[in-house]
Amino acid sequence: MDGMTYLTVAYLGMIAGIAIWTWTVVNRSRTIEARLTAVESSMGIIASEADSISKEHED
Amino acid sequence: MAGRSAEVLLGLGFAGIMTTLFLGFQWAPSVAIDAFESPAAQRIFYWHVPAAWAAFIAFAVLFTGSAMWFFKRSPLGWRLHVAGAEAGLACGLIAVWSGCVWGAAEWGTPWDWTDVRLNTFGLLTLLALFLVLGRQSQPDGVESRDTFSTFGLFGFVLVPFTYIATRIWEIRHPGPVVGAGDDGGSLSGDMAIVLFIGALSFTIFIIGHILISMRITSLEQRLEQAQHHIDGGK
Repeated sequence: MDGMTYLTVAYLGMIAGIAIWTWTVVNRSRTIEARLTAVESSMGIIASEADSISKEHED
Repeated sequence: MAGRSAEVLLGLGFAGIMTTLFLGFQWAPSVAIDAFESPAAQRIFYWHVPAAWAAFIAFAVLFTGSAMWFFKRSPLGWRLHVAGAEAGLACGLIAVWSGCVWGAAEWGTPWDWTDVRLNTFGLLTLLALFLVLGRQSQPDGVESRDTFSTFGLFGFVLVPFTYIATRIWEIRHPGPVVGAGDDGGSLSGDMAIVLFIGALSFTIFIIGHILISMRITSLEQRLEQAQHHIDGGK
């Protein structure tokens, strides 16, 4: 393979990797947020940013 | 709101990364034909170096988060730890992958086990892989967080070691081209501009990823609390 072929393979791999990673993360964030909002509103739970593990440790 | 700003940063960073790609191909000057075995493949440098730079930012975030969790039991620290490990893994893999492809074109081999820079950076990426996979496979608790934070703290030692590796032992990996000291490096002005745009774009992109990853961890914790509530906990 010549240098240009290597370069094309590398860039295509990285573009695909970056795009898939970004899409997965954004999609995961939106899905969890939608599920959480539905659960919290249906159960009347007040949204909290607290971390149960560190809270548990403090208790 | 925080989620939206992270997405905006991701979009800006991605656009900048693609601009860097275009400029690297179309605008940046070619290197001297006799300076490299494969002069065309050298253009991978405009992504490889910024990706490694972004990985170092992510490892710094991992170190800070690990310290904040380990010494202060800070929930924010844990979120930084998780985000730093994920971002470090992604950028580390981009740098390793692009380096391997360039090495195959330039050196005739994708990896050199005797090169200090390659091996310490490879170890850093493996550390991030261990932290990401370990967190997903272990139940979340104080003990597991302490263990992973310890690795995050001590693993950071590899960052300055990787940085100085080519200054002390230049075996296979090229030496520094920016901030090299007395001769000011070997980059022409146009090359430096493309590299700077790449570094800025990767920095914005990785900050966006770190913010969104922290948000996901926070949402997962809230979901866990909702589950706890459903199960009859306090």
